[in-house]
Amino acid sequence: MNQPHPALPVDQEADARGWREGFQTGLPTLFGIGAWGMVVGVAMVKSGLTVAQASGMTLVAFAGSAQLASLPLIAAHAPIWVIFLTALVVNLRFVIFSALLGPHFSRLPLWQRFYLGYISGDVSIALFLQRYPNPAPAPGKLAFLKGLMYPNWFAWQIGSLIGIFLGSAVPSEWQLGFAGTLAILCITVPLIINSAALCGVLVAGVTAVLAHGLPYKLGLLAAVLAGMVTAMACQETMEKRHRGSGTGHG
Amino acid sequence: MADWEIWVVILVLGVATACTRSTFWLVGHKVTIPPRVQEMLRYAPACALAAIVFPDMVLGPQGELQLALANPKLIAGIAALLFYLWRRAMLQTIIFGMLVLTLLRVFHVFGNSG
Repeated sequence: MNQPHPALPVDQEADARGWREGFQTGLPTLFGIGAWGMVVGVAMVKSGLTVAQASGMTLVAFAGSAQLASLPLIAAHAPIWVIFLTALVVNLRFVIFSALLGPHFSRLPLWQRFYLGYISGDVSIALFLQRYPNPAPAPGKLAFLKGLMYPNWFAWQIGSLIGIFLGSAVPSEWQLGFAGTLAILCITVPLIINSAALCGVLVAGVTAVLAHGLPYKLGLLAAVLAGMVTAMACQETMEKRHRGSGTGHG
Repeated sequence: MADWEIWVVILVLGVATACTRSTFWLVGHKVTIPPRVQEMLRYAPACALAAIVFPDMVLGPQGELQLALANPKLIAGIAALLFYLWRRAMLQTIIFGMLVLTLLRVFHVFGNSG
């Protein structure tokens, strides 16, 4: 493997230490990651995917919220481009994460940067940025990231596969697919960072219900657009008024 | 959906993951996102997820609106939301919500609603 930073000599001891440190930092989160993967695995099988399709999805997509979002769309025979756009929007938070994390490793070979980005999950990125807020090169830094991300990837995949095989053994009256909806609920709440986001979320939700009958599942995209515009408008109003909270939404 | 269509969807999901996660690793620090765009990026995922959850909870199998108390998914969803706001623990919330849904279903708490 290439030496990423000519300024830093190979330091195997620092790398081993970094890996161990990364692994220990991520260890407490691994159980939660695996369990969350299991929920997504169950939801995939319960929405009608075969074991092969569900396993393929978890290995290729590696994106819990986007996978969950795609399930009702697949069931409703939505067009593929609508599913693609939805997955893209749900994943947009990672654009910000990758903008934060990318500069740390800008000198690595292209392929390595690609796959490191591909397997970076929310939790790993948060833990990494706590340890290394500064993008300057440091010995053992890449090893630390790998110590976080590789176990994270395995925990997720193992959890998902368990969920997939468990899910196909459970009767459908249990409505285990609803666990997926509950999981989305739990990811949505922390994303509501201020009252503008809350307005946007409410408008998006109500619009999605009202526009449910639109062809090609376009109601979903309309809802996202309406929510985003509302959130931005709310934010601008709040910035202008600074204080003074009105009672109306949007 | 046909089997091959689902595999195309799976591929497309992989492309979406790569686009959002890897792009800035590839362009590195040559580009900075303006704050306005950052805010939009921040709001979009919450809106998209809400647009998925709301219909899941209030629409029946035929797409009819079910706001009554007889809708177990709505009750379980609201109960789970309150539980999450209280405990902030995802796994516990999912287990709690599924428990509520199951109890409502098994005991037909709000009468037989089809």
